[in-house]
Amino acid sequence: MTIDTAASMWGEFSAMHAWAIATAAVVAAGCALVGTLLVVRRMSLLGDAISHAVLPGIAVAVLAGGRPGGLLVLVGAVAAALVTVLLVQVLRREGGLADDAGTGVVFTTLFALGVVIITAAASRIDLDPGCILYGILELVPFDTVRVAGWEMPRAFLTGATVLMIVAAGLAATWKEQLFTAFDIDAARAVGLPVAAVTGGLLAATALVTVASFEAVGAILVVAMLVVPAATAELLVRRLHVMALVAMLLGVVAAVFGYLAAWRFDTSAAGMIAVVLGLEYVVAAIVAPEDGVVARVAARLALGWRVTCEDTLALLWRADEAGAGVAPQPFRSPGEWAAGLWLAASGRIAREAGRWGLTAIGRAEAETVVRSHRLWEAWLGRHADLPLDHLHPPAEWIEHHLGADLRRRIEADVGAEESDPHGRSIPREP
Amino acid sequence: MTDSGASACPAVEFHDVTVAYGRRPVLWNIDLVIKAPGLFGILGPNGAGKSTLLKAALGLVPLVGGRVTLFGRPLAEVRSRIGYVPQRETVDWDFPVNVMDVVLMGTYARLGWWRRPGAAERDRARAALERVGLVDLAGRQIGRLSGGQQQRVFLARALAQDAELYFLDEPLAGVDVRSQERIFRVLDDLRREGRLVVVVHHDLRTAADWFDGAALVDMRLVAAGPTAAVLTPENLRRTYAGHIDVLDELGRAVERGGRTA
Repeated sequence: MTIDTAASMWGEFSAMHAWAIATAAVVAAGCALVGTLLVVRRMSLLGDAISHAVLPGIAVAVLAGGRPGGLLVLVGAVAAALVTVLLVQVLRREGGLADDAGTGVVFTTLFALGVVIITAAASRIDLDPGCILYGILELVPFDTVRVAGWEMPRAFLTGATVLMIVAAGLAATWKEQLFTAFDIDAARAVGLPVAAVTGGLLAATALVTVASFEAVGAILVVAMLVVPAATAELLVRRLHVMALVAMLLGVVAAVFGYLAAWRFDTSAAGMIAVVLGLEYVVAAIVAPEDGVVARVAARLALGWRVTCEDTLALLWRADEAGAGVAPQPFRSPGEWAAGLWLAASGRIAREAGRWGLTAIGRAEAETVVRSHRLWEAWLGRHADLPLDHLHPPAEWIEHHLGADLRRRIEADVGAEESDPHGRSIPREP
Repeated sequence: MTDSGASACPAVEFHDVTVAYGRRPVLWNIDLVIKAPGLFGILGPNGAGKSTLLKAALGLVPLVGGRVTLFGRPLAEVRSRIGYVPQRETVDWDFPVNVMDVVLMGTYARLGWWRRPGAAERDRARAALERVGLVDLAGRQIGRLSGGQQQRVFLARALAQDAELYFLDEPLAGVDVRSQERIFRVLDDLRREGRLVVVVHHDLRTAADWFDGAALVDMRLVAAGPTAAVLTPENLRRTYAGHIDVLDELGRAVERGGRTA
């Protein structure tokens, strides 16, 4: 089976498709769960490496009589994964090779070895390099087994079994995984067996990878490992929630990716990975704290607040100067908008042809001017700066000083002091 | 403090300990005995191997020679009685956990496999947070804390472990004054409760006020004992302008497998 013929397997929607979707969903959930721990441990590259390096393990297991998705193949894959990790460590210790370069050397070599074995033994084993690279999700429903009277695809059975084993194993040792991932030295110091914890995670990586091979292939399984976890990391802030969200994102991508592939008559595995990528893009835009929308909104909100506060302070200073000139505080559309809002909210009012502060507006303006002059006073006292260097930073800091810090600064510079320019500092309203 | 062996045996004993990274020795032939209770400072210049000395006691780096005993026993038998506060920079503070999650980690060692922290563990974690003054921030994402608050979270995690012996690596580095005072007060309380607190510290000005005992380290042990007796001008000169070039040069030659010039 090659990728070209895979695309033409589509027919009417049927139970066959439902099985294929279910298979994609269980492998995606397993990969996302393991991937969450890999991503927070900064081991994504190792996940990539393992997903490729298991190939010779699978090849040898198949040569030894194992069936794809069978127990022998799973064991071979886990063994190959552990060999990968050991080889990376040996290269670091003996060859002084950095981990990322060592990983690159080991997994490409092992993967190539797997391709060589499979191709050389092509006549004897039922394993196709194309299928290993790209998967054959569309054909999964045709290779079935009977379990307890149910006819189900073998790949689904493997995927569901691996998902249950991995989920149960990680749930039972979640606190060890959490501690090791966050602070490996402290975990080791209190006696947690961090090597076994890490080894368990790597074995789980190998298992979910092999279970995913038939469905999505060696290349796209990396997307299933890394992308949902990276997306979930943008959205939530606790590890177990992140794992659940990542699994959900993986399942959603499996379902909609498959349906989209059916609709557009293209590769299901490819479409699932594309949907995973889209999920990431959407999350990067709408994420609650670091998302593009949130950051733009925060910047706009700050700009709005600064404009409003500057307008109030300008009017207050005009009053203080007492010249009786009518300042025209609104020069740009933004300032006009701020002015309209300040007027509508009762902070400023127009009286006898000029804008002036109401009682509420005056109190808020005094807070701004007070912050400004306190900061000038503090800088004047604690930094060796010429007088003309004091105003610009205060113009910026005045919007960020809170009541508590203002009181502490006041206690420091003295309540009765005026600012370094000799103007009095308004009292806290 | 339980008296189990603590009065009979020193809490910490380094016997002829040599530590190497790769083949290159970074700590040479350390003999050091620290008795409980008290606040004990490990002092010395940058790169002197102070953190490595703590890691050697905790079994986090392999020893080339010598042995460490804690309460007169090998480390493996007493791990649960020992708390460790690593340097703050060694972990990723954007990690998806909140303050309570981190402090609860201090209770894991006693729980054993399979068991999850329950109400009793939460109470202990809350009490530890109360001691460091962070109980109001229990639900906060750790990345949104100040440096001093992060350091106090680490200390609370160790407190939740309720250990008899604490090793702290630079707990006061890059920490605001308020957090420093709070941390020092907690350490002082631990001493009062009869525990031993061993602190890697780089600020000699505060060392004399804080520590009962101290060790000056610069790849080898220069002096150890009561703080006032250790921090003499002669000892400081030997630590800060001492024989590091000899040891350093020699260490590199050992690493190469060659000879020094």
